[in-house]
Amino acid sequence: MRRKKVCFVGYGSTEYSRKSEASVLWYYADAIRDALRQTGLHKKEIRGLSITTQVSPDYSPHVAEQLGLEVDWVLNGDYGGGGGVMSVRRAADAIECGHIDVAVLVGGNSFDRSNPTQRQLEYQRGNFVDVYGYGGPNSLMALIQRLHMTQYGTTLEQIGKIAIAQRDNALNNPQALFREPMSMQDYLNSRMISDPIRLFDCVMPCSGAECVVLASEERAKKITDKPIYLVTDAEISHYQVANMLPDKTTFGMKVVGERIFSEVKHQDINLVEIYDDYPIAVMIQIEDLGFCKKGDGGKFVDAHDLTYRGNFPVNTGGGELSVGQAGLAGGFLHVVEALRQLRGEADGHQVKKAERALVTGIGWLNYGRNLGTTAALVMERR
Amino acid sequence: MAEARAPQKSLPKINKVDQPYWEGAAAGKLLLQKCKSCGKVQFFPRVACVDCFSELDWIESKGTGKVHTFTLVRVPRNPAFKEEVPIYYINVILDEGVIMESRLVGDAKEKVKLGDRVKVVFQQTHDPNIKLPCFELAN
Repeated sequence: MRRKKVCFVGYGSTEYSRKSEASVLWYYADAIRDALRQTGLHKKEIRGLSITTQVSPDYSPHVAEQLGLEVDWVLNGDYGGGGGVMSVRRAADAIECGHIDVAVLVGGNSFDRSNPTQRQLEYQRGNFVDVYGYGGPNSLMALIQRLHMTQYGTTLEQIGKIAIAQRDNALNNPQALFREPMSMQDYLNSRMISDPIRLFDCVMPCSGAECVVLASEERAKKITDKPIYLVTDAEISHYQVANMLPDKTTFGMKVVGERIFSEVKHQDINLVEIYDDYPIAVMIQIEDLGFCKKGDGGKFVDAHDLTYRGNFPVNTGGGELSVGQAGLAGGFLHVVEALRQLRGEADGHQVKKAERALVTGIGWLNYGRNLGTTAALVMERR
Repeated sequence: MAEARAPQKSLPKINKVDQPYWEGAAAGKLLLQKCKSCGKVQFFPRVACVDCFSELDWIESKGTGKVHTFTLVRVPRNPAFKEEVPIYYINVILDEGVIMESRLVGDAKEKVKLGDRVKVVFQQTHDPNIKLPCFELAN
């Protein structure tokens, strides 16, 4: 569907940390505070709250209570890495319906070990995966990458180029935990984790949070002179679930892409913020979204400059691979980076022409297939 | 002060839905589910057919198939498995037409490539009542 009346009016971020044990509630508060500062909104004007996290507490009414928020709408956006984009969709629905006019959406993570009820991820599927000594998401994505390399002749150098370009983007992003240049040799020589997935294919878990503020168009114009419009958005969960011989190298992003690009044109997108738990996942989404044919992702990467200076800017702030993955804040990082770009606030890594951005989210690596949740949105400056 | 317990290798927490599967494995049978109505064969165990939502029967798989894709796990999620790395974690396409995640075992496993034929073997776990369906190269 093409959205008409919902705007992004602000965002907030925290520092990222590999060691901090501050509570996830503290991180939420810090990200929301940052967004309130930017928007000039008062806490009481927040009428909707969504949280996305893998750590306790993860009950949205409880979090609202802890943060002292009296709200008309709460949501636990428990969609894994799809949570950023999918929470935006839920909040936009509520705003379009008139239930609320301002919503804050946060995703966050912390290494606070004092809370013993940290949840096990469903996709670990103890009974049918963990018993074999698998290596978590790294192994599940490795299965997909090997298939992509074998079926389509995709090379490590092509996959590595994505990680290297994103590192280039991160060099001038103060939020990024990794700001040392990465060479192809660095990438290829990085430690093997779950063949063919190497260390530099993997994200660094960390503590941190991201916040996005959405409002009705009417409110947006009073809050900011830089409202960013939500143009169109789509999602699908459990693509191919009933197919016992699924195509592991095609994500639900294929269906999402068809929906998105029935509303907008590929050539009108100036930059893409693609959920990057792994470089191969970025390449597959580029294919699924129709920027090239299935299997041609390697050639596409060869033919394009993926940095913020380039002709196909991808993950312009470094993405989760170079910034760090603060749990499910990862899905919000891409939304926030797109907002920075479209508002012209990406100091040091600003895309020259940044009028329209595509943002994706994927989550729930699952049994035998690939991703459980896939979602995307397009936003624009008007 | 209690001594820290060494991590244990993961075992299934057997439930009502997958109990027949684990009983089968303990008896040296690889069981799959088959729809009573439309005949679709499916894996992993669920409560209804993924196509028509009808009730399910259990059938015995021939236990043969081919390697769809694999990875060598160097860093297992559960550190108790660390002594066994690299673990050959595989996706098998069973001849019944379902993907199964499992592990490749046996002396020849280093030679594995996509498409290789495999057959099921049942590995004893540290729980005497539980065996794990794993696979070996067929030739």
